[in-house]
Amino acid sequence: MAPKESLVKMLGEERVIDDPKILASYAETRSFGPHFAPWLAVRPDGPEAVERLVGWANESRTPLVPVSSKGLKIRGDSVPSVPEAVVVDLSDMKKILSVNRQHRIAVVEPGVTYGELNAALAEENMVMPMSLRPKAGKSVMTDVLEGEPRLNPMVQWSYYDPLRCMEVTWGEGVRMFTGEAAAGARDLESQWADEKWQVNVAGPFMLDFYRVLTAAQGSMGIVTWASLKCAVKPLLHRMFVASANSLSELEGFVYRAMWTRFPDEIFIMNRSQLASLLGKTSGEIAVLKPLLPPWTVAVGVAGRELLPEERFEARSKDLTDIAQENGLDLRESIDSLDGDAVLREASSACVGTYWKDLWAGSSQSIFFVTQLERAPLFLKRVTELAESLSYPVGDIGVYIQPKHLGSAYHMEFTLPYDPDSARETRLAEELFDAASREIAGLGGYYSRPYGKWAGIQLNKDAQSLLALKRIQGIFDPNGIMNPGKLAAV
Amino acid sequence: MIETTLEDFRPMMERCSNCLACKWLPYEKIESRRFGRNCPSAAYYSFNTYSARGRFHLGQVLLDGRSEFTEQAVEAIHSCTACGSCDVSCKITRYNLEPLAHNIALKERAVELGKYYPGQKAAIDCLEAERTMLPGERHSARTDWAKDLGLKDLTREKAEYAFFAGCQYSFGSGLAEKARFWAGMLRDAGVDLGYLGKADMCCGGRAKQMGFKGAFEKQAGANIAALKAAGVTAIVTPCSDCYHAFKRQYATLGLEVKTLHVSELAADLLAEGRLKFKKSIDMTVTYHDPCHLGRLGEPYVPWDGVEKKVLNQIHTWDPPRPRYAGTFGVYDAPRSVLKAIPGLRLKEMQRVREYSWCCGAGGGCSLSSPELSSATASERLTEARSTGADAIVTACPWCLRNLEKAVDENGRQMKAVDITELVALAV
Amino acid sequence: MALEREAYRAIEDIVGKRNVSEDSSVTETYRCITSQSSAHYGPFNHQTPRPQAVVLPGSTEEVRQVIRICNRYGIQFKVASTFWAAMGYVGSDRAIQIDMVRMGGVRIDAKNMMAIVEPYAIGAVVQVEAMKFGLNCNMAGVGCSSSVLAGAAGWMGFGPSSLFMGIASENILGAEWVLPDGEILRTGSLGSDGSWFCGEGPGPSTRAVLRGWQGSTGAMGVCTRMAVRLHPWPGPKLIPTYGEVPSYKADGLENFRTYTLCFNEWEDYARAFQLFHEADVIYLGHRQFNMFGRDIKGAMLKILVDSGGQFSDLLPLMDDPYVKSENEKMKIDVQIVLAGLTERDLAYKEKAVDEVLRQTHGWKSEFMLDKEMRDFVLLYLLRLGRKNLNYTLCSSYEGNFGMSSNVFVAAPLMEEASALKRKWEQDTPHIAAVGGDSDMGSMSGIGGGGTTGWEFFVHFDAYDKDSIRGTKEFIDDSQRWMLSKGLGADMGRWNADARREDGYDYTQEEHDAIYKNLPQPAIFEYQWKVREAFNPRHLTGSYYRTKTPENVK
Repeated sequence: MAPKESLVKMLGEERVIDDPKILASYAETRSFGPHFAPWLAVRPDGPEAVERLVGWANESRTPLVPVSSKGLKIRGDSVPSVPEAVVVDLSDMKKILSVNRQHRIAVVEPGVTYGELNAALAEENMVMPMSLRPKAGKSVMTDVLEGEPRLNPMVQWSYYDPLRCMEVTWGEGVRMFTGEAAAGARDLESQWADEKWQVNVAGPFMLDFYRVLTAAQGSMGIVTWASLKCAVKPLLHRMFVASANSLSELEGFVYRAMWTRFPDEIFIMNRSQLASLLGKTSGEIAVLKPLLPPWTVAVGVAGRELLPEERFEARSKDLTDIAQENGLDLRESIDSLDGDAVLREASSACVGTYWKDLWAGSSQSIFFVTQLERAPLFLKRVTELAESLSYPVGDIGVYIQPKHLGSAYHMEFTLPYDPDSARETRLAEELFDAASREIAGLGGYYSRPYGKWAGIQLNKDAQSLLALKRIQGIFDPNGIMNPGKLAAV
Repeated sequence: MIETTLEDFRPMMERCSNCLACKWLPYEKIESRRFGRNCPSAAYYSFNTYSARGRFHLGQVLLDGRSEFTEQAVEAIHSCTACGSCDVSCKITRYNLEPLAHNIALKERAVELGKYYPGQKAAIDCLEAERTMLPGERHSARTDWAKDLGLKDLTREKAEYAFFAGCQYSFGSGLAEKARFWAGMLRDAGVDLGYLGKADMCCGGRAKQMGFKGAFEKQAGANIAALKAAGVTAIVTPCSDCYHAFKRQYATLGLEVKTLHVSELAADLLAEGRLKFKKSIDMTVTYHDPCHLGRLGEPYVPWDGVEKKVLNQIHTWDPPRPRYAGTFGVYDAPRSVLKAIPGLRLKEMQRVREYSWCCGAGGGCSLSSPELSSATASERLTEARSTGADAIVTACPWCLRNLEKAVDENGRQMKAVDITELVALAV
Repeated sequence: MALEREAYRAIEDIVGKRNVSEDSSVTETYRCITSQSSAHYGPFNHQTPRPQAVVLPGSTEEVRQVIRICNRYGIQFKVASTFWAAMGYVGSDRAIQIDMVRMGGVRIDAKNMMAIVEPYAIGAVVQVEAMKFGLNCNMAGVGCSSSVLAGAAGWMGFGPSSLFMGIASENILGAEWVLPDGEILRTGSLGSDGSWFCGEGPGPSTRAVLRGWQGSTGAMGVCTRMAVRLHPWPGPKLIPTYGEVPSYKADGLENFRTYTLCFNEWEDYARAFQLFHEADVIYLGHRQFNMFGRDIKGAMLKILVDSGGQFSDLLPLMDDPYVKSENEKMKIDVQIVLAGLTERDLAYKEKAVDEVLRQTHGWKSEFMLDKEMRDFVLLYLLRLGRKNLNYTLCSSYEGNFGMSSNVFVAAPLMEEASALKRKWEQDTPHIAAVGGDSDMGSMSGIGGGGTTGWEFFVHFDAYDKDSIRGTKEFIDDSQRWMLSKGLGADMGRWNADARREDGYDYTQEEHDAIYKNLPQPAIFEYQWKVREAFNPRHLTGSYYRTKTPENVK
């Protein structure tokens, strides 16, 4: 039976898409990596359908590419890297399966966006910790599962917090829960009836199933729900900013602030990145940019249900003192830079044109994790490379985000370019390639090895690669899950 | 009832819970990774078998016949320096275990079975023949240090205090003068002092700590008789081993005479103004607590009781059993003497007082396990040097001898001095 | 059974003669006596099997070479460092014991707040080295006597600090493992350029196969080095102490507060925990001293605080009207420590605690506010240096009713669990009669709150065969009660599926029979596949739980 017929029989006519225009849209990406339009796309309506689908794919050796977010594929991780693939579009699986205030846990399907989740959480006086201004169509689940850095690393006791339990159909077709939820019946309703709320991410025994799925780009299995740890909604919430002429000037303050854990949110941006975050149009960005300091550290402070004013007061005053001790002036605003505006923009979803694209029409991001003290070295080398290629250095955005209680720092260079200009596109790609290699050479770590980084990173560590192959051989023995993403695997 | 045979320790063997606290300082006193360990033999040989826990387990194994007294078993048994550091660490939390006493009981069983080393035998043979644990020395020369000093001979005259020099101070090169110094100084300070004359002999304390119970008891019997005959009210000794022997080991055999270390008496005399330091010593020193003066130097408390369980299974002793946890050892007296010396600066090591590191000479290990003994002294010198001190001071001749010949982990020697030497320079 | 001479000689060549022994005096003392040491599969009057040799490797390379020899000759191996529990000991007669005592290094990266530790770096030394730089490490409830690395690699590792600092497994950054097949895997950033700061990725984390939630229990190779995340320590470089041995107390930590919070009802207790989980005010939170038992904890504390205290003082102290009345007020209690990172911070935290108490009708125990008591408790909780007090009452203990889950489920069950234990205390002489409730444990079983980490302690006499047998019967009864409540395995039986009652490994057939009826047996089938991939000669024993997949014959 032809693939389409099989899928229609399995899922129903309306859930199988072969419209070339729609299929082409699944291949739209910023990534410079290889990408193909899928042969078909399917929209399963639940885990059982996913399980059947994966079974079929194993029999027919059909590559499956799970997609959960709507809109442009920035990283390219959910765009097929091989021909003959079937996209598994989960973006219509939008149920918020539970919201538990007592344990601050929400269970969401893959298609739920930040906007949708936060609306539901607001009723329970909670909020989902955000990554930096995600696309409005971004799946919360995927965002978390892929390890997009959060604005509030102080509540990340594990690297992938707020991720907790999941339901997954592995590449070999077995469906199960992960973490604490795997120790009980494979039935959420009965777990809830037993007051089990999918809180604990690990295990459940000697195997951390969730870690097989993190940053996997859909290459191990298809996740059909995830439980996420939420935060109590702030009653008071402000962001403070301090400026500096160089990145190094901020280091002492950020290290100390991380030591105290007083900030609720904390990140560093350079002028270009911050202007792109705050400006609504390229014109606004152009106006803003010269008005902003070269470097800004933004620090959020919140007060929640328990003594909101007292907490806010203590934290904000202490952080101001710490800034002062480190030669910085932490304030609610600096000239035209308003801290609360930064907070508002950073922690809200981006509707319309992706904010990093406002300046030049498109952009590429190079990101990796490192330690803060090493960040100036990467900045220096990327700047030198840009200069050597005559790339406009002033356009490069820099965003540094502590992760995991500050044990690692996400460092991101945004390279804007005009996608309609072949020269600019070529230049951006050239810089992207050169800088990516240079960063790896200097010890920058591509923990999320998208596109070309997979080869760069995985080839540096033969034993990890071998282990990864063994793991993939267990969970996706036929290699049907999003093949080609972890290229070397 | 106090445990005397290895079999008596069976409840303790089975009640040790394998926490291995016996391998470390009391955790709350650890200051660094480098100097966190407490047990010389566990640190040197590494196998758990060489710790107090290992020995409790080994005791069971041997009693159950699951192992012979193999070469390694004998090494594990005799490599205990009997320093008691395991005992202190254990008693931070446990109220019904006596690891040091058990270690010695194991040694005694090994000795009974003839499982000991030639070096030990030589010392015990010498004890038998010449009444000293120092092979090569003659009893006839034992009291040469007292010649022409005019001290009362307690076999003929009465005095309040018996000055007991001990083997090292009686014979040791450079040490006999110190015995002479102490005796003379104390007498001059008005202490009514004598010595045992021809009846003077080894205290035998080390024999006990080596597991040679019979040899010890023979010595103790003779000494107790001599002391009783002398009618003294107190013994004063510059030797920490002797101090421990009289204060704790002889006490179990019925000796009821007050025992003082010279540093205690000197501290008292300083406090009373009967001893004054006139000269300044420009030197930075660190003080090594001898095990037998420090944590093992606590006063003896007689006890004859039984275990009693309350609330079904909770262990108590009826009547309450004395807990020797190092609380009341002699720590402050030698320090107060040192602090009273003008110009002298005292810097403490990390392992001090009840959780002090052994010098390595204890338990007869300098005879039975010279490599262990040397490594243990080396460790102490390394620690002493880390304080920045110019010299390591101690109040025990056995410690002094072991530290004098040692080098630290970098192969460097460090000046080791007896507290006497500093006192002599300062008066 | 002796090792083949070739194998033994090869191991001698690798580690040196003095670092390997097959002498009976050594190998016999590397058996776990399961009545004496926490076993978590029931107290039994037997020992685990005798290893064929005990090996003390001194480097990662030596570990690798020893494991290769094991693969070559088909010798099982079990690794341990501080030998706290039965899981560290071999489970067959064809096995060697690897003791990591020679690898005890600690290096602090102060700026990046991490420690790189080797297996024999115990909590006490990692902590003191960290404190020199204003940092602290999570101290698992097992106490500072245990290996930080082993706790992180091998077991769960929650304790007083885990609400604020996360549990041991959450603090693992880069790690170096010698896999059971002798290959070396370095996780995360460590694998590519030797940086320890990130233990995840690249891409999916290979760490997935190394420990899970429960921990590898020494059954997935040997972790030889690990970076653990450190946390703020706003105290001095060394905690000053005062008081005589053994009743040491913390001296002059002015920016710390130590309280015992008490509640009328378990519902209030659970609600207070929820509020503390949501607020960043608690530095250490543990229900600690109730481990002695509800009826005796006040008297026990009086004994412990006094350097001359004796257990013979216990009954008179329990009858002391003041102690009795204060003890009654501490029936439902938890110890907390607040750490002021600044003056404002401490003031805020103090207010927050008062507010939580107001909302939950709780109070601070006055008995525990006595200065010496406070200082003793502060030092106890900061250092966790007294884990052997677990054993002190009768010489041994085992956990029974244990909850590592929902505080709102666990708390309401406390009185029923207490009543069950109290019944056994009254009806039999085998366990200490301490008032039923002897629950203790962490304010949270995961970082940032969300679960409990509790267990009841059952105190028994390891020298008394009747006491051992009676305790096992009680734990079996406790297990029946827990199953009737749908609560899973009793703490005392947590490892009952990992090692047979006679101390030996399970066979695969026995494991298959145990796991076939699980609601999601795929868990153990995947563990089977992981074992096949990384441990093809099955050299690490049955603590690594596996079920043969249906499609494998």
